[in-house]
Amino acid sequence: MTYYAGIDIGSTAIKTVLIDDGEELLDSRTAPTGSHFHHSALDAFEVMLGKAGVAREDVAFITATGYGRKLFREADESISEITANAIGAKKAGAAFGDVRTIINIGGQDSKAIRVDDEGNVVQFAMNDKCAAGTGRFLDMAARNLEIDLEELGTYHFMLKGAPPPINSTCAVFAESELIGLLANGHSKEEIVAGIHYSIAKRTVRLAKRVGVDGRVYFDGGPALNRGLVAAMEEELMTELVIPEIAQVTTAYGAAILAREAALDECEEGHGT
Amino acid sequence: MSETQHLRRQELTAKQHAREAAETLTRLEDGFPDNPEAMSYFYDLFRRTFCENEPVQTGPLVGTTCIQVPDELVRAAGGVPVRLCNGAHTMDQVGAEFMPSKSCPLVKATLGVLHSDLPEWLKGLKGVVNVTTCDQKRKAGSLMEEGGYAVHHLEIPPAKDSEPARNYWRESVRDFAKALPELTGGKLTRRSLRDAILENGRAQQAYRRFHRLRREKPALLLGKDAFLVGNAFFFDDLDRWTEAVEALVAELEQRHADGFSAAQKRAPRILFTGSPPVFPNLKVPLLIEQAGGVIVADETCSSNRMLYDAVTVDEWNLYDMVDAVADRYLKPCTCPIFTSDADRKRRLLEMAKEFQVDGVVYQTFAGCQVFEMEHRSINQTLDAAGIPSLYVETDYSPDDVGQLSTRVEAFIESLKTRRRRAR
Repeated sequence: MTYYAGIDIGSTAIKTVLIDDGEELLDSRTAPTGSHFHHSALDAFEVMLGKAGVAREDVAFITATGYGRKLFREADESISEITANAIGAKKAGAAFGDVRTIINIGGQDSKAIRVDDEGNVVQFAMNDKCAAGTGRFLDMAARNLEIDLEELGTYHFMLKGAPPPINSTCAVFAESELIGLLANGHSKEEIVAGIHYSIAKRTVRLAKRVGVDGRVYFDGGPALNRGLVAAMEEELMTELVIPEIAQVTTAYGAAILAREAALDECEEGHGT
Repeated sequence: MSETQHLRRQELTAKQHAREAAETLTRLEDGFPDNPEAMSYFYDLFRRTFCENEPVQTGPLVGTTCIQVPDELVRAAGGVPVRLCNGAHTMDQVGAEFMPSKSCPLVKATLGVLHSDLPEWLKGLKGVVNVTTCDQKRKAGSLMEEGGYAVHHLEIPPAKDSEPARNYWRESVRDFAKALPELTGGKLTRRSLRDAILENGRAQQAYRRFHRLRREKPALLLGKDAFLVGNAFFFDDLDRWTEAVEALVAELEQRHADGFSAAQKRAPRILFTGSPPVFPNLKVPLLIEQAGGVIVADETCSSNRMLYDAVTVDEWNLYDMVDAVADRYLKPCTCPIFTSDADRKRRLLEMAKEFQVDGVVYQTFAGCQVFEMEHRSINQTLDAAGIPSLYVETDYSPDDVGQLSTRVEAFIESLKTRRRRAR
């Protein structure tokens, strides 16, 4: 049996995916990037292989993506996370209808991608260098409010009044703004909802820049936050496709591209 | 601040500036295989000027801060024009002390050069010619005066198509011609202006041959080198620069005859436009070519736009020549400060066709409102013509390289897929 792997080395987490010849996702793994991302990536990859019971030499091709893509020399090839995300989302979202718009929120950036019927990137937009309104901000906010990241969704739906406007979704200024809101008597639920709406507004603006079309697929770690999903759906006024593999969609796309690259090489090999 | 502290600070700035230049040169030279031999002249020129502080030019140096300053007039009056526009993050940090932090890095860095008294060989500067283009450049002019420089404010109209605008600019250039001898100590005569026009014309002719060779497919030269050639024109001796370009042209012609390709044969061909890449800020051009694209043309004021159009003289007498020089600068200028962007759109579409371009990369420096404002309508025009484009907002700091490389790579990848699908 031949296998293919995609490794997405992000700013916060490393995601690895293993697929077989039928592009079936066999196993995936998510691990914190940490300070030694190279070591963390290799480790995640090997743990995944061990769990799946696959030998290293049976993995025919590895494609790396994400911020660390070029520094991961064990990979056969690297591809930008935008291309990989588009391919992964098209495939993973196929069961939900014709996905044409993809919204991704990662650890330090957010993206909106418009794709054609084959998952090729037609247009994309990405936040500029500021990390406002990304996963990092949610992290900071949860820490400042002293609640678990996973609890953000629960708090969102406990909202009774109206969410306060959060002006700054900047990870650096979050602390002072949130402390100010708490001091003014806002409840944690209100603040959490306020955060979700302000990220949602920001992200929807980005999506509108590339044009919202067909089914909208939402992925990246923050897509696991039900509260944020609800806020995004309200702002976008459409239902989002949230895949089971929200956090590993891009790694999955990289694995699909790994398989394609391996097949291309094979053909070329026969040709010469 | 004591004299020692001042000197110490200046020394540190000089070292940082030199290191920044050296790092970029290493990336330009060693980061790519098969650099043309004739490019050694340029790599060496930049190393000597920016890393070793060698004076490349002597004489009455006249600093300029825009391509709209008529070089011919400065030369005819016995001056040596040196364009001060700077691309160093180090200088941007110096300039940031005098301007709002959100202003354009190019304007800040240029002001930084003047306030740091660096490089050493610019010390003999007789004065600065500042064109009143955008708000920031205009106000920077008065900040230069505060720094103790003699500044000539060359006034430019905000439109270029109307008769009043043309007259305004002509008057402005005539005044400049009259004021020049005070700066240079020389005399502007019929003969000296004629010689200067012809000398500039030879340089432009060499540049146009160079420019035309970039139409070839596969590409004969990488854009990172082409930007360096244009940037060298800022400060190099004119005759020596022209010779070096001619040598490069000869080598590229040989490359063409040999069927040589400077990038991968199917590398997406990019047209670069927007805020000008000025050495050592070749961040975005380098990212494009590291990602497997090749910049085959540019529509910027740091290379193509600077040299493309030539002066056309009807009568070779002094007054007619001064007016002819003025016209050559105003009419073809596609700076976004003008009311209309029609010329810029037309030029981009023409170039996209002529150079068989696959996509356009539009760079805007954070703080440059006019380029940012034009982006929407330019984007619509390109879209309507079926030309994909990538809009990038950036500055001189290196901290957005990771994020930008993702965007640039994704753009190059999408151009490749697009072509595969078209087949």
